[in-house]
Amino acid sequence: MASPPADLPRQFASRAELEAQLRELFPEAPGGLSPIRGGRQAAEQLRQAANPARYGRSRNFLDGAVTRLSPYIRHGVLSLAEVREAVFQKLRAGGGREAGEKLINELGWRDFWQRVWRQLGDGIWHNQEPLKTGHSPASYANELPADLAEARTGLACMDAFSQELVTTGWLHNHARMWMAAYVVHWRRVQWQAGARWFLQHLLDGDPASNNLSWQWVASSFSHKPYIFNRSNLERYAGSSLCARCDAAAKGTCPFDASYEALQERLFAPAAP
Amino acid sequence: MKQPILWIHGEALGPANPALQAHPGRPAVFVFDEALIREQAISLKRLGFLYECLLELPVSIRKGDVAEQVLAFARQHQADGVITSAAVDPRFALIRSAIEHELAITVLEPEPFVALNTPANLQRFSRYWRQAEPLVWGGY
Repeated sequence: MASPPADLPRQFASRAELEAQLRELFPEAPGGLSPIRGGRQAAEQLRQAANPARYGRSRNFLDGAVTRLSPYIRHGVLSLAEVREAVFQKLRAGGGREAGEKLINELGWRDFWQRVWRQLGDGIWHNQEPLKTGHSPASYANELPADLAEARTGLACMDAFSQELVTTGWLHNHARMWMAAYVVHWRRVQWQAGARWFLQHLLDGDPASNNLSWQWVASSFSHKPYIFNRSNLERYAGSSLCARCDAAAKGTCPFDASYEALQERLFAPAAP
Repeated sequence: MKQPILWIHGEALGPANPALQAHPGRPAVFVFDEALIREQAISLKRLGFLYECLLELPVSIRKGDVAEQVLAFARQHQADGVITSAAVDPRFALIRSAIEHELAITVLEPEPFVALNTPANLQRFSRYWRQAEPLVWGGY
């Protein structure tokens, strides 16, 4: 039986064919498919591979044992309750509660953001609290700088993250934080511009987790702005990015300073 | 409802979807929200990811105005109502009420990550987690 005319196709010989079909269906949507596949099967594989103890030890490193489950959790391919149960099962099989504290805590963050969204609705697009940067909200630009979106800032780290975001739709959480801090504090751009950009591209793009994390970096949902420096980035990303960075070679890396010096450079003294 | 259709949305694209669990075999539809995709300039990779999720679910795939498409699908199947699962996105509430204008709709709650026994303190994660953590681990 032929499917009703309004139904979109469900049979594809290949991912290339799916991509071609999507281009036809959504001609305005930029880019191509991500190498990351959607679907329950892919999610199950990642769920099986997840290692709570290694996650707990290495999650902050770009090459750490993160689960990469976020796109599937965001769209309910796996529910948070299912992931919680899967983690418990692994812990019962070995490791015990201690090995899973960190991973369960991170699932808690996801639940927290969803609860805040339910409470605030579209309010998640507005500052939850005043900024603690000493700068007026009006001093932040409205638009994302084109050099960042096009991965040509000349900073190897930011360009690599920008490219990874746009081509794969996934970024390690630490890279997201560094990039958000760079956008908001170094480039003095409104967090909303960065948040919109992330939502265009992230496969796990969830307005609540995304916007409230941007606000956490910006300091409108935290006690102080989040910043990082070069040694923090090199510790967690390794030194390969800095090794091929022109700015690092020329001594113009904007992150190569102590936290005290960066505080002074980036933020205005608090009003008396 | 004797002859409902299921409306599947982007927060519940898995077998834990309570509408799919409660009514296996009923006609189900997912609608790509064209206005949202255009307004937010959503990239093709996000749409592709969703599409691949949908290909593993027993669901008809459509695009357009979500409420209109769900209602059209319901008419096609001579449905007497729509069953869906709760969503957090405030856009869901708007679509839900647009559907409800013409047809009864039932919203099923998915299994929560944790059921709190006091109102959630959402000012900071640490406060929320102090309430939630012992309950989450209670199931371990």
